[in-house]
Amino acid sequence: MRMPTLTTLVLATALAASASALQIGSSAPQRDVKMRSVDGRELSITEIAGPKGTLVIFTCNHCPWAKAWETRIAELGNSYQQRGIGVIAINANDPSSHAEDGYDEMVKRAKERGFAFPYVVDAGSTVARAFGAERTPEAFVFDASGKLVYHGTIDDNADDAAQVKQHYLGDALEAVATGKPVTTAETKALGCSIKYYGS
Amino acid sequence: MQILRRSALAIALTAASAALPSIAAAAPAPNPGGELVPATASQVLEAVRAPGARAVLVNVWATWCLPCRAEMPDLLRLRRTYADRGLRVILVSGDFSSDAPDAAAFLHEQGVDFPTYIKKGGDMEFINAFDPQWSGTLPASFIYDGQGHLRFALHGAGSYEQFEEKVRSVLE
Repeated sequence: MRMPTLTTLVLATALAASASALQIGSSAPQRDVKMRSVDGRELSITEIAGPKGTLVIFTCNHCPWAKAWETRIAELGNSYQQRGIGVIAINANDPSSHAEDGYDEMVKRAKERGFAFPYVVDAGSTVARAFGAERTPEAFVFDASGKLVYHGTIDDNADDAAQVKQHYLGDALEAVATGKPVTTAETKALGCSIKYYGS
Repeated sequence: MQILRRSALAIALTAASAALPSIAAAAPAPNPGGELVPATASQVLEAVRAPGARAVLVNVWATWCLPCRAEMPDLLRLRRTYADRGLRVILVSGDFSSDAPDAAAFLHEQGVDFPTYIKKGGDMEFINAFDPQWSGTLPASFIYDGQGHLRFALHGAGSYEQFEEKVRSVLE
């Protein structure tokens, strides 16, 4: 689309916040922080990291975007975990913002969706803030050496899986699993804003 | 404002509701003239460029976005105040198709009696067609002049005064 003489008035938050997001090539921050999983274990990113790489995905129960992509997140997480990529889904939302984001609901949702990977509580949104994560869902893929190689959204059509043309996260995971370079390293993460504790 | 043919509007609305037979509480019928029409960004931009307006404000909102709902009365008031000076307001719901009844119900409550849109097609295409700088965060408002050139992009909520100032600067 042509956009001649565009004057943009940006109401700060979106672009300012994105400047603090984890950069491609970085290691996972706060990776030793223990987070309570739906099966009662306390797990850190370091502990779940896989030999081929690691997928960290911030998500939650209430957000319509997270719900729309949930089955696909489960499928990707479950299958790539089998192929040597460690997977962890992190809920950094304060449940006082949406009761549906509480622990009991997380337990139910993980079971309903058949998550074979941990779904954990980021109490205080500590890990989310360190990652600069802003949305649910928002995916971070690290390679075998722990370097960030993909950051962003799941695919290009949340509403309709059958209409997806660009499988951004799936392609990144496949590249990492097969030791190849990721062709699209960053995409805009689409979803609801993370409801940080203390905000 | 005829954006799409009436028959296409009827088909679109019927298709949207026929896809959801199990919804227990159906949305009330739209206010007369208040159809919710599935549209791609290209189709919305055609509506932006349709002749007859001196300024066009496109607002992208969703039922799950509280600031979007909060600013809707101001947008509708702006529309009423400046319609006779050539302001066209185009509302586009970013709700998923399964939530179209909720979107329609909200518009009904707000007294919307003109056609509005609900997004269809790929997400990135939609976002980038309006503004490649836009992260997709909602609400978002895009203000065009009468020739369809984008003059202002607001990523986030706006106050009545902010919208009015930008619209007036385009109208003048």
